[in-house]
Amino acid sequence: MKQTAESIRDRFMKLGIDVPVEDIESRLDELITKFKVPSNEAQRSVTNYFLKKYSIPKNEFYVRQAEPQLTKIADVTENGQWANLKAKVVQLWENTHESISQVGLLGDETGIIKFTTWKNAELPPLEQGESYLLRSVVVGEYNERFQVQVNKNSSIEKLSEPVEVGGGDFIPSAREAELQNIVDLVGNQWATVRGKVVQLWENSHESIEQAGLIGDETGVIKFTNWASSELPDMEEGKSYMLKNVVINEWNGKVQIQLNRSSSIETLDEDIEVGTSAFTYFGAMIDIQTGSGLIKRCPECKRALVKGACAEHGKVKGEYDLRIKAVLDSGTSTQDALINRELTEEIAGISLDSAIAMAADALDPGVVLDKLKHELVGRYYTISGHKLDRYILVDSFTPTSSLDRELLDKLLSELEVA
Amino acid sequence: MAGFFREVSRRVFSQELKDSNLTSRDESDQYAPQYLLTPTGAKVNRIFIVGTLIEKEDIGTDSEYWRGRVSDPTGSFLVYAGQYQPEAAQFLAECELPAFVAVIGKTSTYTTDDGNVLTSIRPESIQQVDELTRNLWVLDTAKQTLERIRAVEAQEDPNSKLAKEHYSTDTEIYREMVKKALESLKDNA
Repeated sequence: MKQTAESIRDRFMKLGIDVPVEDIESRLDELITKFKVPSNEAQRSVTNYFLKKYSIPKNEFYVRQAEPQLTKIADVTENGQWANLKAKVVQLWENTHESISQVGLLGDETGIIKFTTWKNAELPPLEQGESYLLRSVVVGEYNERFQVQVNKNSSIEKLSEPVEVGGGDFIPSAREAELQNIVDLVGNQWATVRGKVVQLWENSHESIEQAGLIGDETGVIKFTNWASSELPDMEEGKSYMLKNVVINEWNGKVQIQLNRSSSIETLDEDIEVGTSAFTYFGAMIDIQTGSGLIKRCPECKRALVKGACAEHGKVKGEYDLRIKAVLDSGTSTQDALINRELTEEIAGISLDSAIAMAADALDPGVVLDKLKHELVGRYYTISGHKLDRYILVDSFTPTSSLDRELLDKLLSELEVA
Repeated sequence: MAGFFREVSRRVFSQELKDSNLTSRDESDQYAPQYLLTPTGAKVNRIFIVGTLIEKEDIGTDSEYWRGRVSDPTGSFLVYAGQYQPEAAQFLAECELPAFVAVIGKTSTYTTDDGNVLTSIRPESIQQVDELTRNLWVLDTAKQTLERIRAVEAQEDPNSKLAKEHYSTDTEIYREMVKKALESLKDNA
């Protein structure tokens, strides 16, 4: 107890206040012995008492206590540890979460670590390439890797002298990723890809600028261009060189992501997209919502939800027809996307007549009902490019006769048995 | 894909569905789907049938509750549609008998007081179709049933083993059933 009292006294001495050690001791004694308060709680309570008595603002006192004991990045080894770092902002990343203000990499001479600044920290943004003293950041562990979190108890101070970063240059745009064929792409790497935009999708998320499919001679792959990449839009049917894109895997599917480090160059050539046509036979067992008569945003072709585009807000939509169907073979299911031309052909309904039908019934749902009525429950063979879980149907054939050969074969098998 | 996947709609003749009484579901998850294992080892949650709607009756007391009977070459299925299957109930209310129909739905079972298990279908969709579609379904279902019969005879996968164990499946009976169904296609050739 005597020791505790001495340490409290020492701390006040540093602020130029001489608190009689007997006073401290008697207060501690009362709390610990008489009121059974744990000693660390008692210590805090007594300290706060004297802070108040001498009118010292609490935060001033505690900040002084935490004067930097600098930690090197290589020494960040403990989850939950508080640290003060002198580091350079090596890279800023796309930030995907609204409660995060910044995310990226910090480096010093010993190593590099991921950092996250929470929005509620209310700190000015860090600039890439600048060096800072970051006080009171917390070490966290995620996916077995350490990272530091900048929260509202943290403070940052820009340093005029740059911090040396060990381990070379980590800025990916400093070098260009290798040009690869789409079919060869695998997850978790940077790459450069050339291809033709096969299709642009309507997309429902404001953080996505464009999403769709791009293909080269070897295959077709999904791409996502994040709004924060600040890259220009691409057009359907045009060919582009996409430099320094990230290839990752999601749900077992490889896809391309364009971010701030990526670039898009328009190519003059017309890349021929390799066909990986896929054929499926089964019964159509469902036509999903979002099928039938829909409206699309005139600017980005996204399907509108309640008359509004996710990107461009309330717009005067353009009518379109499409079918999102589910086919089922009895042992597997297959999702299929059928575009307007094919929908018009197989359902025997034109876009104009669909609009008229909907207007007549004051309900676009009648078009969906008609499609279900015409198509669900029947057997079809479809083929087209496969992408994600969909087949983009370019050929749609109703089964028009019974397979007599199969019938005879099955019957003869049963006769034998 | 982890989490969600669409249940495949199985092809089973009415006779086989009627013989089925083994249900299973993951008890630890209240949203887990219920499956009905048939004597040839089809693990059915969703089912696709095409047949002839031969009877319909509104058996509801307060609100409409429709029961339809759909026949195939081996017997008939019972289809029940109430307020939670509005499109199917509306179809049953308005259609004329008899009619070829394609039904997509979930199987459900009911155990009577004396321990019998009755199987029926809760439709997600009923559509009127043509005779060709009905014949295609019979051929499709015959083919898939025969494949399952072979699997039961070979005892090659867990479902066939479980089916054999539970029903002591006599595959001859089901071969005969498939044959009968296929011969009906021959007749009206």
